[in-house]
Amino acid sequence: MKNLSVSHKTVFVVDHCPYMSESCRQQVEFDMLNKNRAQGIIPLAPISKSLWTCAVECSMEYCRILYDIYPSKKLVCYIVSDSEFHILNSWNQEDQNVQELMSALAAVGPPNPREDPECCSILHGLVAAVETLCKVTEYQQEARISMMDNVERVSNRGRIICITNAKSDTHVRMLEDCVQEAIQDHNKLAAGSDRLMQIQQCELVLIHTYPFGDDTLVSDRPRREISPVLTSEVHSVRAGRHLAAKLNILVQQHFDLASTTITNIPMKEEQHANTSANYDVELFHHKDAHLEFIKSGDLHPPGSNSRDSNLKETVTLKWCTPRTNSVELHFCTGAFRISPVDVNSRPSSCLTNFLLNGRSVLLEQPRKSGSKVISHMLSSHGGEIFLHVLSSTRSILEDPPSISEGCGGRVTDYRITDFGEFMRENRLTPFPEFNMMESNEVPLERAKAQLERHTRYWPMIISQTTIFNMQAVVPLASLIVKESLTEDDVLTCQKTVYNLVDMERKNDPLPISTVGTRGKGPKRDEQYRIMWNELETLVKAHNKTSERHQHVLECIQACRSKPPEEEERKKRGRKREEKEDKSEKNGKDVEPEKTWQESERLKGILDREKEELAEAEIIKDSPDSPEPLNKKPRLAMEEIHPVDKAKGPVSLLTLWTNRINVANSKKHQEFVGRMNSVNNKAELYQHLKEENGLKTTTLYLSPLVAMFDVCEFF
Amino acid sequence: MPTVVLMDVSLSMTRPVSLDGVEEYQRKNLAAHGLTMLFEHMATNYKLEFTALVAFSSLWELMVPFTRDYNTLQEALSSMEDYDKTCLEAALQGVNNIVQQEWGVSCPCQIVLVTDGALGIGRGSLRHSLATLRQRGDDKKFPLPFPFPSKLYIMCIASQEELQSTDALDLLEQLITLNGNEGHIFTVEGPLCLKNVQSMFGKLIDQAYSPFHAVLRCGHLASDVQVFPRPEPVVTDEDVDPIQKNVSSELDIVGFVEIADISSPPVLSRHLVLPIAVNKEGDEVGTGITEDTEDDSSANQIAGKSPNFCVLLHGSLKVEGMVAMVQLGPDWYGMLYSQADSKKKSNLMMSLFEPGPQPLPWLGKVALLGPISDAKENPYADDDSKSPFPLQPKNKRSYAQNVTVWIKPSGLQTDVQKILRNARKLPEKTQTFYKELNRLRKAALAFGFLELLKGVAELLERECTLLPDTAHPDAAFQLSHAAQQLKLASTGDSQYAAFHQNIMPLPTDFSGSSGDRI
Repeated sequence: MKNLSVSHKTVFVVDHCPYMSESCRQQVEFDMLNKNRAQGIIPLAPISKSLWTCAVECSMEYCRILYDIYPSKKLVCYIVSDSEFHILNSWNQEDQNVQELMSALAAVGPPNPREDPECCSILHGLVAAVETLCKVTEYQQEARISMMDNVERVSNRGRIICITNAKSDTHVRMLEDCVQEAIQDHNKLAAGSDRLMQIQQCELVLIHTYPFGDDTLVSDRPRREISPVLTSEVHSVRAGRHLAAKLNILVQQHFDLASTTITNIPMKEEQHANTSANYDVELFHHKDAHLEFIKSGDLHPPGSNSRDSNLKETVTLKWCTPRTNSVELHFCTGAFRISPVDVNSRPSSCLTNFLLNGRSVLLEQPRKSGSKVISHMLSSHGGEIFLHVLSSTRSILEDPPSISEGCGGRVTDYRITDFGEFMRENRLTPFPEFNMMESNEVPLERAKAQLERHTRYWPMIISQTTIFNMQAVVPLASLIVKESLTEDDVLTCQKTVYNLVDMERKNDPLPISTVGTRGKGPKRDEQYRIMWNELETLVKAHNKTSERHQHVLECIQACRSKPPEEEERKKRGRKREEKEDKSEKNGKDVEPEKTWQESERLKGILDREKEELAEAEIIKDSPDSPEPLNKKPRLAMEEIHPVDKAKGPVSLLTLWTNRINVANSKKHQEFVGRMNSVNNKAELYQHLKEENGLKTTTLYLSPLVAMFDVCEFF
Repeated sequence: MPTVVLMDVSLSMTRPVSLDGVEEYQRKNLAAHGLTMLFEHMATNYKLEFTALVAFSSLWELMVPFTRDYNTLQEALSSMEDYDKTCLEAALQGVNNIVQQEWGVSCPCQIVLVTDGALGIGRGSLRHSLATLRQRGDDKKFPLPFPFPSKLYIMCIASQEELQSTDALDLLEQLITLNGNEGHIFTVEGPLCLKNVQSMFGKLIDQAYSPFHAVLRCGHLASDVQVFPRPEPVVTDEDVDPIQKNVSSELDIVGFVEIADISSPPVLSRHLVLPIAVNKEGDEVGTGITEDTEDDSSANQIAGKSPNFCVLLHGSLKVEGMVAMVQLGPDWYGMLYSQADSKKKSNLMMSLFEPGPQPLPWLGKVALLGPISDAKENPYADDDSKSPFPLQPKNKRSYAQNVTVWIKPSGLQTDVQKILRNARKLPEKTQTFYKELNRLRKAALAFGFLELLKGVAELLERECTLLPDTAHPDAAFQLSHAAQQLKLASTGDSQYAAFHQNIMPLPTDFSGSSGDRI
């Protein structure tokens, strides 16, 4: 049903003239005496509703069902007519609920039987109804605004349901003519107005109601066209339950509703808690919830004649006792709001309360063949109950290839838990509309921006990252992705960096992965270098976000450039790693780093030679000094990270060389010349050159030399 | 979308195609050639499509039920025999049955009808079927339009001119019209030969069987994916102009939601999201299969070993029980989640929501969903004990707010009984008594049912006289107070009959017994 169909606007015009205060002549017993109290008491006489009461309660029931199933975009305007018209509410959404109408109706009160019938007429109300239909609703206004150039294409259609007591068929014809005239007049008015819209189509539903036992003076008449704009139909029904049944059918026709009866609902009686009886509950909902049945021929198509008779057609679905709170995604092809037909009957309220408490119920469709299939589910979302249509046929996606067979399926060390954490941080939450006005930013765009920030540096697998495997980095990593940092945040980041510096000084092991590296894993200070590089990459990805982000980067860069003395100590470890240095893969990021280290190293060489001996002593005495590198733990580290076999066979020479290197590295410090050598050429007596500008001699180191224990020459 | 190939095996399909000098073909050979090409395309690029093969003449036969095994289809194609005349109506009815039996009525299907355009003569001919369209009972309805969503592709092993010389083209066009204009007629351009038939089937492949490739993105994390079955455009039912919406080839994740919060939402369709290796060039239609497979498998192995965002996403969605909200285009969203089938295999799946700014009432407008870090306090609480979903509607529904409906006498009687039950337990039940009394009063005033107020007042007065000696003295006071107030309201006097004004309990001096006095 399109939003702006004839059902977009419904005007109820209810007769409030003196004759409506007449009794409907159907009595209601309201004094139901309790058996054991009944002795000697005469029950009070039954009472009966007036025609007015019948009309009001039936029209309210119509509205109740309508508002339950269409909380928006299907609007009702209620008009009461006596010597003048009373419009009880507007098209505004906030006026669209049963409480508002009830309150307004209470203010109107029942018709005054003593009023002069000559002054009273339903016509006042009908004319007002036409006028009201010309008024623009919020939704029409929205459509008009979005269609600036084609305002005239926004449609204005509506329905008038008039409950009255007509005198004759001629009287009915007079009412129709009057509506037709009013439409013509108001369309003329509307043509010259920006705030009114011309009526393009109007359905007039005249309901003549009369007391039980009277003969009807008006005959039923199916819908017929009075003019291209106006159609009219006449229903002649007795007041009371007949009128209720009629409006019940009309609301289904007008709003494309269908009925489902949930059968076999086990309910416990208060008195007999250990037995349960089965009940049925009938629900209204949009007829599309039955689409599958209609198409497959299990049900008569809509619009077949059975609907018009009082025999309602309902689809019966069987209750399946729900399993305990399983959170599951069902393949659901539609969800439709429901309204119980008999809203405050005990079985109905029992079922609705059960659902409102958060339970879901699967419903089973008994098929012609006798087989059973789960076809629907009842479930509530935020105090609204929906009938979900579940797919019950074979899936075209059955037996798909598993994700582990596809791209990336063979990788086993995805950061699943970390990404789970990432998803939790990037969960969504609803924001009120007015917030948007303030910040001028759509919440969803902010969500996207956050995803962008959080993923600027996000390695997907564990072996691609060091810092995200380190608990120590967490404070910085979780703060740096923020849009803005406070001074405290910057402090926390700096603390994290200092902490890392401290770790490095203590030479704490790092969770470096060696997958994919050739040879033994990187040495400790090489590991730190990798870690610092990665950390810098992470922070660099954010340093343009704000000045404070920039501060964090500066802090890292400052902390990395260690004082010469510190650098000096590091060097001992590095000597043994020249070969790994070459296989270093971090590429670009590392380049500037390397050159910087190189110059720093050259500077240090002078001092180094002088202090060499003394220093060895100092280091050992200092509590902060790194553990001697050529001790056992190092060996252990190397054994943990075996050579990666994936990169092809290792030659015997390589094996031998490695072994010798390992053995030697435990015994000696690397020859400084080799460390600084370029193509195995090392400059000797550099300090002389620097100090005296003398020509230098070049010493060629052959691979064989490398095998000697160079240390002994010192 | 499953495919049914409906192959014409009537005698006219054996008509030879006259070509100057070269090898002689029958039309059915051309048809088989075209279908082979289609099957080969599917086997490489559209592997998960279920296809069935139906042969028809005056009778129809399901040669191959729905399968993904294209070899079986190919074999059946080459073993087809020749039969009598064309009778399309029966064949379409057959397709209708086959599809409904297998897939029900909501699964969209594609029907590829291969025919030479000789549509039969006399009874059972398409001309006869269409001419008698309006003279049928409910039991003998023409099978079109199919009850399931469908596309009817008609592959004519004939040129347009040839078809136009008879009324065949008109009749086939009528078929498409009958199917709600869902479908297309393909004809051979140029002389009938292998090459031109190939190019005709090439057009079908482009239109209906080209795989849908997209980039799935979450910030800077991304993966190239194939979405299967390919998402079809959706025409939104706008009030003014119907707008066709296409799924964008940029699928942007906008955030994450718990499965319990998204809560089995209604979806238009479901699709597998399969990561694909980038830069697989030479991925053309109809390349030699045997040579390719080896390359393919080694390429697949390499692709299997390089980390892919889809696998990471899938793993975490599965572990955390969440879905990813994904934007499919302007004002169109879907969700990604892990879907496991019975065999412990699981997959990344995407469901499309109805296009529009608010596909699910319980999530609200998607554009208004923002990051939790923007909220003043974490809406999920630090221990995930809370959730901002579902959104509560502004007004409660009738079943959630204790409405009063007296259409059936039982409704009225129950409400009166409730008041009486509480009346007998005064003063303990003072609050409930007045609550029920006021509910009845409000409804009676709205319905203009003043007689009821009078009646209930009388009932309460009678209850007052029936109070046992042991009754609390407050009970009598409250009952007569309530009765008096109801009577006043029943006059309709605006002073006493105001809707929002409630009858308040009578303040009495029985302190300690009536709970509301200090």
